[in-house]
Amino acid sequence: MRIRNLIYMAFLGAGFLMQGQNKQLLYDFTEIPQSLLLNPGAQTDFKWYTGFPALSGISFQAGSSGVSVNDIFADDGLDINDKFRDRLIRGMDTRDELSGTYQLELLNVGFRGKDPDTFYSFGIYNEGDGIGYWFQDYAILAFEGNANSLNRKFDLGDLKTRGEIVNVFHFGINKRINDKITGGVRGKIYSGILDFNSTRNKGYFVTTEGQNNLLANTLVADMEMRTSGMNAVWDAQDEGTLGSTILKRGFFGGDLGLGLDLGLSYDLNEQTVFTASLLDLGFIYHANDIRTYTLKGSATIEGVEILPADLVNVNDDFYQDLIDEVEAFIPFEINDKSYLTFRPTKLYASLRYNFGEPVDSKADCDCGITPASRNRNRAKYVNGLGGQLYMINRPRGPQAALSAFYQRRFGNFMAIKTTYTVDKFTATNIGLGLNLQAGPVNLYFMADNLLAYRNVAASRYASFQLGINIISWGTK
Amino acid sequence: MKLLKALVPISYVISILFIGCSDKQDFDQYEDLSITPTYEAAILYIETPESFINAITGVDIVTQNFNFDAFATDIFANRVIDGVITYEVENTTSKELEITVEFTDDGDNVLDTEVFTIQAAPTAIDRREIQYGDGGRPIDIITNTSNFRVTARNNGDNSSTSNIDDAKITLKSSAKFRLRLK
Repeated sequence: MRIRNLIYMAFLGAGFLMQGQNKQLLYDFTEIPQSLLLNPGAQTDFKWYTGFPALSGISFQAGSSGVSVNDIFADDGLDINDKFRDRLIRGMDTRDELSGTYQLELLNVGFRGKDPDTFYSFGIYNEGDGIGYWFQDYAILAFEGNANSLNRKFDLGDLKTRGEIVNVFHFGINKRINDKITGGVRGKIYSGILDFNSTRNKGYFVTTEGQNNLLANTLVADMEMRTSGMNAVWDAQDEGTLGSTILKRGFFGGDLGLGLDLGLSYDLNEQTVFTASLLDLGFIYHANDIRTYTLKGSATIEGVEILPADLVNVNDDFYQDLIDEVEAFIPFEINDKSYLTFRPTKLYASLRYNFGEPVDSKADCDCGITPASRNRNRAKYVNGLGGQLYMINRPRGPQAALSAFYQRRFGNFMAIKTTYTVDKFTATNIGLGLNLQAGPVNLYFMADNLLAYRNVAASRYASFQLGINIISWGTK
Repeated sequence: MKLLKALVPISYVISILFIGCSDKQDFDQYEDLSITPTYEAAILYIETPESFINAITGVDIVTQNFNFDAFATDIFANRVIDGVITYEVENTTSKELEITVEFTDDGDNVLDTEVFTIQAAPTAIDRREIQYGDGGRPIDIITNTSNFRVTARNNGDNSSTSNIDDAKITLKSSAKFRLRLK
């Protein structure tokens, strides 16, 4: 029943939610303060803002690149065993993944400094991220076995997964450097709650014709699973102290790391803006509650072998000797050595063309198409059109997504942004983001892969982001 | 008017989020999912040279119990459906030999017996496949087996030698079993 529930959760998670960290709707949506977390060099005109604690930024994304709930569980009259074998076991390959992330802002505050060109922001957010690539050869071994697969090497490297939960404490400076360039930098301290990763596995399992016996089974393994904080969390769950343990580890009682975000906005001309950002250039040093499991070595067995020399040792336990021998050649060990992990670094870039009527800014400034002072905020236009690139560093190499977007402002009280995104999960991802400004109250909601809602079960990708902020532009 | 324009996309989003539909799903299909992989591995190899046989006076060359817990482990015994044990016996000695393989449980009770009588060389390799479960011998034999007892009997003499180099008798065996994981 537990396995069944887990499979349900995995498939439902893959089908109804969505993958990845790509926040193409929020990126460069400068009416929303959280866009500064995606580009510390974004063009802002706030005087100050503060997010509602725990409500200012909520995002959840998950996805599966290979199979959807509908592929397996559709009531289509097909045998589930055929669907399972053809679409899951054989249909996916090792580049397919099941991944997800969430982010919950605990605190987010920003304010303009004495120098009106400088904007500061700081806060805390909790973030979880996980990815597991399709462990194809393990799945084939489990679903079909090794019989009738003489000389086929089952690749142990197919196990590739990582995940973490971390609190991030950040402080950012956003500065309008000159008429054309706004730059930003954000420093981060990571307080790791838990981490697991197994991404550098090597080896194989193969069945061959034996030298003496009919068959030989060979295992060559160089495998490692590093964990940090997992045992503390499990123990805390048993002891009923889960909340305090997570709180302690999340506030500098766990693993610590440092990181940096960089970003810029560059006005190519009056109406064209180029932006780029590099996020989470950082690392976490795991030195707390470490448990690393290793399996290294090689062994070939041909069953219990009784050779002439053994015939005199009639009391030996040959079976136990065989087991001991294998364990000696391929020891399974546990250690508590510290380790370093690098954060999944992300890159965003966009090119935007603004057109239509300029919108009156709410900022306390001499804003307009040709501001009198270089310290003034550039005018916003009713329409924005452009393209975006997103890349993230993953265990099997970088993943990219390309988006085209259109943004429309309705006065200063509402703005919408729609995107069309192509990535490894889908080529029909249309998203829509809505930003509402009611006095000082700012509310935003974004969701993508909207076409998938025509058949939710067939979706391999979906996400949402929402939040509430209080924003002030100062008094005009 | 601006508000009216704005409400169009908003209402669209809200509509699709709330009336998002789905093809009919049947999660009860999970009950029909059957995961029954077949695994194979060698189990026992015994080699006895002719010189050893000639050195033994009497008919019984060797009788030996071999502990073999692999079949009795829960992960195997609780999941095995059916399978085949393959034997291959080759005799290159100058005498007729008889090999008996007995499957015994923890109480040393004999559950199954396989006897091979092999003529003196030159003779063909005796290859046998014994089915357990699925119309073959009861699968309980396998799940209750915790030892093999192998007896080699010399039906010939103790002096002759084969003209084949490295004359010996070998017993090779492997097991191929289907397990139910789901």
